[in-house]
Amino acid sequence: METTEVIEEGGNITVERAGEETRKLSFNNGLCAVCGLCEEICPVEAIEVNPTGAMIRTEQETSKITIDEGKCVLCGMCSSICPFQALDLQIDGTSIKEIPGYPQLLKSAEIDEEECINCKACETACPQDAITITRDLPERKDLITGEIEIDKDTCIYCGICEEMCPADAIEIDYEEPTSINPVIASDINVDEDKCVHCGICKRVCPVDAIMEVCRICPYGEYEIELKPEITGTSYIDPELCVNCGWCQEICPVDAAKVTKPFEGELILHEEKCQGCETCVMVCPCNVLSFPKPEKPGEKPEKLHKDEKFCIYCGACEKSCPVDAITVKRNSINYTPTRSKAWQNAFESLIK
Amino acid sequence: MPKHIISGLRYLAAVNLTKQGHTQKEVANRLGINRSTVSHYLNGRNLSIRSIEVAKVITELCPRDFLLLTYALLQDTNKTRTIIKACQRRKFKASVKSSCIGCGICIDSCLMKAIKLDELKAEIDSEWCCGCLICVEMCPTNSIEIEEVED
Repeated sequence: METTEVIEEGGNITVERAGEETRKLSFNNGLCAVCGLCEEICPVEAIEVNPTGAMIRTEQETSKITIDEGKCVLCGMCSSICPFQALDLQIDGTSIKEIPGYPQLLKSAEIDEEECINCKACETACPQDAITITRDLPERKDLITGEIEIDKDTCIYCGICEEMCPADAIEIDYEEPTSINPVIASDINVDEDKCVHCGICKRVCPVDAIMEVCRICPYGEYEIELKPEITGTSYIDPELCVNCGWCQEICPVDAAKVTKPFEGELILHEEKCQGCETCVMVCPCNVLSFPKPEKPGEKPEKLHKDEKFCIYCGACEKSCPVDAITVKRNSINYTPTRSKAWQNAFESLIK
Repeated sequence: MPKHIISGLRYLAAVNLTKQGHTQKEVANRLGINRSTVSHYLNGRNLSIRSIEVAKVITELCPRDFLLLTYALLQDTNKTRTIIKACQRRKFKASVKSSCIGCGICIDSCLMKAIKLDELKAEIDSEWCCGCLICVEMCPTNSIEIEEVED
């Protein structure tokens, strides 16, 4: 019944105890945001978060936390509270996140595919690169119709149309002229899948060899049946998502819905802040930023927060070297548990 | 010699189990020995009186020594818990406080297999508790209380 610990290269840690049941705690260093909730909740003081500032700045590969296998009893509290999925306790191969009875943080992020217009705003805004939008775009030729024809007998292969075509639809097969065959090109072709019938080639052709007509233009603003649907799928990586709410905020059609694990208040003590930016680097939710100075040498404005995106994990407070940030947690959203000890442990994080 | 002491312990267990109303067949099954051996034991044959005397002393040791010594002799959890259960005269009442975090350390440490987890809380079957207090010592949150009760 010995507890063993393995620290892998890259900082991942596993702590294991094989007895009546096999308990295995896995720590994923890459997912850890150094918030310190595991350290706070651990009932046996087995976890210690290593100094954050230095680690963030130097991008070290060492473990962000230390687990004392002599103290760890593999109860799983750290695994249940971690909002970043960095810790996971498995009992006989099943994560306690799937075992009924264990309290689970209530947090989610979903994109309603019915509403989503595949604009990718969320994908761009997501601070954790957790969102992937795959969209199927229609072919250009399905959006525009027309005719184009090049009179190859008239064409002098000057290449002006090829150079000016905005859709790269024209291709000339150039040749080295010889005394037997004194031509500079043998053929010119239009890729009708690419052509958008803009008419530029026709207008620039010095010998009027191109005939082109757009069939859509005469309709002007009148809608004709040429608006194919843009379809797509969205995926939020549950491992990477931190439920910050950026996607929900930025979505132009309210298709994203986020439930945050904690509620609270983020308080900045401006008078203490020295502007070191550690908090900005640590924050997994892009809540904090320093506005850029307008002129060189100008002192930047004070630390700016947008609390809409804060999940009150406490990473900024933990990392601030001058105690200029206070994170107050008012409530934790979690599934009820019959265990008084677990309930007390969760409630103890409300401050 | 260990073998003889084990026989002594089995003898005592067989006598107690018979007193409790178990048939020779049941006793044989529980102790993992054949029926004729049980019959020999109960008739006082094939066993030196010294072995029984030593075994008796062992059963009267403090519960932890009784348990650990028996386990050292038998090297088998199931056989150990059967002997202990049959020979331990003292009774204990175990309770788990609400401060239990369900880590399962007690379960792994209990040689009597008297503990299981129910919804993140350890539950101790007092019927099987031998009073060794190993779980009490191992519990990281001091959540286990064991007291001796009058039979």
